[in-house]
Amino acid sequence: MDVLQVILSGLLLGGVYALFAAGLNMIFGVMRVINLAHGELMMLGAYITFFLFSQAGVNPLLSIPLSAVALLVLGVLLQFTLVERVVNQPLLSSLLLTFGLSTLMMGIALNLWTSNFRSVAWSPLTGSWDVAGLAVSKSRLVAFAIALLVTGATWLFLKKSIFGKAIRATSQHAEVAQICGIDVRRVRLATFGLGSAMAAISGSLIAMIFTISPEMGRMFIGKAFAIIVLGGLGSFAGTFVGALLLGTSETLAAYYTDTQLAEAVAYAVLLLVLLIRPSGLFGRAE
Amino acid sequence: MRTNHTSLTTSREAVALRFNRRDLVRKAAALGVSVPVMSALLAAEARAQATPGASPVAAPPEGDPIRIGASVSTTGTNGRTGLYQQEAYLLWEAQKNAAGGLLGRPVEMVIYDDQSDPTTGSRLYERLITEDEVDLILGPYASGVTLAAAQITERYGYPMLVAGASAGEIWDSGLLYVFGVYSIAQDYFRDIVLNIAPAQEYATAAVIYEDAVFPSSTGLGAVAHCADAGIEVVIEEAYPQRATDVSSVLTRVRDADPDLLIGGSYLPDSVLIMRQSKELGVNPRLFAFSVGAAQPEFIETLADDANFVLGPSMWEADVDTEGNQEFFDAYMAMWDREPDYHAATGYAGCQILERAVTDGGDLDLETLRETLLGLTMNTVLPGEYRVDETGRQIGHIPLTVQWQEGAKVLVAPEDLKTGELVLPTPTWEERG
Repeated sequence: MDVLQVILSGLLLGGVYALFAAGLNMIFGVMRVINLAHGELMMLGAYITFFLFSQAGVNPLLSIPLSAVALLVLGVLLQFTLVERVVNQPLLSSLLLTFGLSTLMMGIALNLWTSNFRSVAWSPLTGSWDVAGLAVSKSRLVAFAIALLVTGATWLFLKKSIFGKAIRATSQHAEVAQICGIDVRRVRLATFGLGSAMAAISGSLIAMIFTISPEMGRMFIGKAFAIIVLGGLGSFAGTFVGALLLGTSETLAAYYTDTQLAEAVAYAVLLLVLLIRPSGLFGRAE
Repeated sequence: MRTNHTSLTTSREAVALRFNRRDLVRKAAALGVSVPVMSALLAAEARAQATPGASPVAAPPEGDPIRIGASVSTTGTNGRTGLYQQEAYLLWEAQKNAAGGLLGRPVEMVIYDDQSDPTTGSRLYERLITEDEVDLILGPYASGVTLAAAQITERYGYPMLVAGASAGEIWDSGLLYVFGVYSIAQDYFRDIVLNIAPAQEYATAAVIYEDAVFPSSTGLGAVAHCADAGIEVVIEEAYPQRATDVSSVLTRVRDADPDLLIGGSYLPDSVLIMRQSKELGVNPRLFAFSVGAAQPEFIETLADDANFVLGPSMWEADVDTEGNQEFFDAYMAMWDREPDYHAATGYAGCQILERAVTDGGDLDLETLRETLLGLTMNTVLPGEYRVDETGRQIGHIPLTVQWQEGAKVLVAPEDLKTGELVLPTPTWEERG
């Protein structure tokens, strides 16, 4: 029974990772830009939820669309003014730019909001539901469900809608897409906006589960990269499976060995997968 | 010429201060004085008219100022906390200058910002000693910077009162010139494990701690105290920094069902452990955390779920110690905010330095070292200042606080407590 409990905790944890990593992966897929500031976009989403809750008493679940829209706008602005300039430039340019953005946003947040740890103390989501003897964390289950919903909706949007297809086409081959009449500049604007909104939603969810601080982005960005590599660069489904795999291997390793070793074991799983499938679980060899 | 205005510190520029602040800021910047220090100085000047603790009858200090150097983290990761310590140093300086100075001479603090970086901190102490040629020094903020700075101050034979650090390692490396102001991290849980738990006849404990210098020191200290108290440690485990999930180890804790769950943890992990304990139904008789439990953010975050949790506290605003109320009021008057314990330990460091210098009668560093080794005195902190032969603090008594119905209650030690301990902690089911 304990093992099931541990697997369940891992799956729920993985769901939150998934949404965050999916946005990062989409941005990389479309413009081959590794967005090191993705964690800080998530942090902003978390603070929007925190302040709306603590200052105005807004239900944290209702603040999710607000933080998504706010970061969508910010994402589009960032893409329009800065990130667009480093697309198709050497990888180092985009790394430097997004690293600078990350440091800048974190520094501003530290100054405005201090490094104090904050948390959304919304009591309806503390504790757990008892399901067949398993303790299902309320906050983590709700976060998992919303993450699943948002990731699923995004996946459908990419698969079915014309604009989603344009995004995928650009992701597969930007030049050919352009020749076919797709406005790739607009696609990139939308992608960065959408990716930022996904980061914001994950931030809002994380604010309900963890303690937040301006430096929280750095906590998650490393895991997100591991997930993307595990699942396959540019693969949406891969990200989700990779996230669940990372979450469960972390908690299982912590249960059977030692919490301290868990992260090492999780990354050993990553290495193992890459040995067998160098392009990740769902990735296509380039 | 110096009047109460000397509380504003920095040397000859103090004169200029009255006439041209902008010029001063520029000069000070050229001298490398950090912006926070400058703004603190200007704020101090604004309030100098009503220098707190000023005694109107004291003769104004005369002669060259005694210069006391320190580097404090006022920016970077620890910037917010370090600022409290710096403000306490400046408060003491203002008070001394208003009350006749030290050895009859004015006091002048020379404070730099190490940006929470140990390397910068040690470089700044080197500069304070060799270039600024300060007479005395005070310790920096946080264990990392203190460990680095102590190597430098040791080399030049400057006794340092460690007013902002508690890692036991500082006193394990055979340094001769470092003196503790408050309990080392290893002793944070001393009272809870050695006195509170045995009184309840608790026999088993789980100790989990974050894998970083300070929290693991508190955790390992708790393990050692458990051995002394005859409490069996059924689970001892470190978890990585920035942990997002401790459900695996808590699942094992639930099965082991210990009487005590002790967390060597910072605030985010303390909160995480409480939340996941509630989710998983982990029901020890006593919860205790090294950091977080004494902070207001803990109850703001956890609300009712924070009740019954115990934590060590180095100082509390309402603790009945010598001069504590006066310190609290003066700090409020000067800085418009309540001091936290980092301010209190910083202020205690100044009190000890003042007393040791006064007792020694001059600024000789060897005399100062001898005096600090033998000195026993009261400060605003609970217990007393008393060190062993390594300079490790052994007289300070960590307080134990407990959250009870949303309020923080001081439950130990016996002679300082303001309320009664409530144990055992009811199970999560009973709490509803």
